[in-house]
Amino acid sequence: MTGRVIVVTSGKGGVGKTTASANIGLALAASGPSVALVDMDIGLRNLDILMGLENRVVYNLVDVVEEKCKLRQALVKDKRLPNLNLLPAAQTRDKTAVNADQMKKLTEELKGMFDYVLIDSPAGIESGFQNAIAGAEEAVVICTPEMSAVRDADRVIGLLEARKDEISQYRLIINRIRPHMVKSNDMMSVQDVLEILSVKLLGVVPEDDQVIVSTNKGEPLSGSSDNQKAGQAYRNIAKRLQGEEVPFLNLDAMDATWFTKVVKFFNPARV
Amino acid sequence: MQLLDWLFRKSSDDARSKAKDRMKQMLIHDRLELPPDRLSSLEEELVAVVCRYFDIDRDTTRFDLQQYERKASLIANFPLVRSKT
Repeated sequence: MTGRVIVVTSGKGGVGKTTASANIGLALAASGPSVALVDMDIGLRNLDILMGLENRVVYNLVDVVEEKCKLRQALVKDKRLPNLNLLPAAQTRDKTAVNADQMKKLTEELKGMFDYVLIDSPAGIESGFQNAIAGAEEAVVICTPEMSAVRDADRVIGLLEARKDEISQYRLIINRIRPHMVKSNDMMSVQDVLEILSVKLLGVVPEDDQVIVSTNKGEPLSGSSDNQKAGQAYRNIAKRLQGEEVPFLNLDAMDATWFTKVVKFFNPARV
Repeated sequence: MQLLDWLFRKSSDDARSKAKDRMKQMLIHDRLELPPDRLSSLEEELVAVVCRYFDIDRDTTRFDLQQYERKASLIANFPLVRSKT
C-alpha cells in the first residue's frame, strides 16, 4: 500500500486546522479508505479532543519516534470507524522532541499502512511546521477571509512552493465565510481571496455554530449527514481530495430580491 | 439618511474593497521583500532619467506594482509631451 500524505496547515493559529483535519479525516474514512490522522502539534495536543478520543490515548508520536513503543501501539482506533486511526501528539513535550528526518521516516511507515495520512500541522512557520511538512506530498492550506489569515496563508504558500519537488500540490480551504457579511461588502469573498492568493480552491466552509457544539461532543460534524453547512462542506472536500468533481457552494451568490434590484438601479457599483 | 448613504456610497469605500486593496499591495511587498519606501525612490530616479530625454506629464504618470498569478510586475506609464532637444 502507498498512501497519500497530506499536511493541513495555515500559518496563523485559530483558523480551523484541527477542526478541518478531524472533519476531513472522518469524511474520508466514512467513504471507505483507511485514514491515519497525525497530530503534529506537539505540546498542544487537541485533535484527540475533537475526535472524542482523549480517554483512549496511551502512547503518542514522540514515544514512537523515541522507540518507546511500536507505531501500532500508539495508534488510537476511532470509536465510529475502524478504518480511522489517530496518532496523538505528546502533551508534555515540545516541538524539539522530533526532527524532520524522524518525521519522514514515520510518514513512510504510515504510508505503508493507510490510504490517507493526514497531518495536522501546528501554527507558525518554524520547526514544528517544518517537521509537519517534512514527509508530506500534498498540502491543504486553511485560511479565513481576514487579512491576517490571508497574509499568513500567503507566507505558507511561498514556503510550500519552495519545496515543489516534495510537495506536488497545495490547495486552499476558505473557512468561516459569512455570506451575509460578504453580501453587505463588509468581508472579503471567496473570489477576492482566490484572486489575492492565486491558488487552487479545495473548498469553502461557512461559519457554523455547530462546529463548537461538535467539538464539545467530540463528534466531528462531517460524520453525520444532518449538518448541511460546515459538515456538508467537509464531506465535499473529502470527495474532492479523492478526485471527485463536486461543485462549490456558491455562498457569494446574491439573491436578486426586489431590494437588491432597487439598490442596483441607484448604484450598480454596490451590487 | 443612513439608507441613502448606503445606497450611494462608492463601492471602493467599503470594508471588503479596502481589505482587498490593502491585501494586494501588502502581499506584493511581502513576496518581493520590498521595503515600503523603495518604490518611490525608484520612481524618482526613473522619472529623472526619462526627463533628460522627454518632457512628461507628471499629473497622469502611473507607477505601481501589479500582481498576476503569484508574480509581481512593475507598471510604469510616463505620458510623453515632447522630446527634449
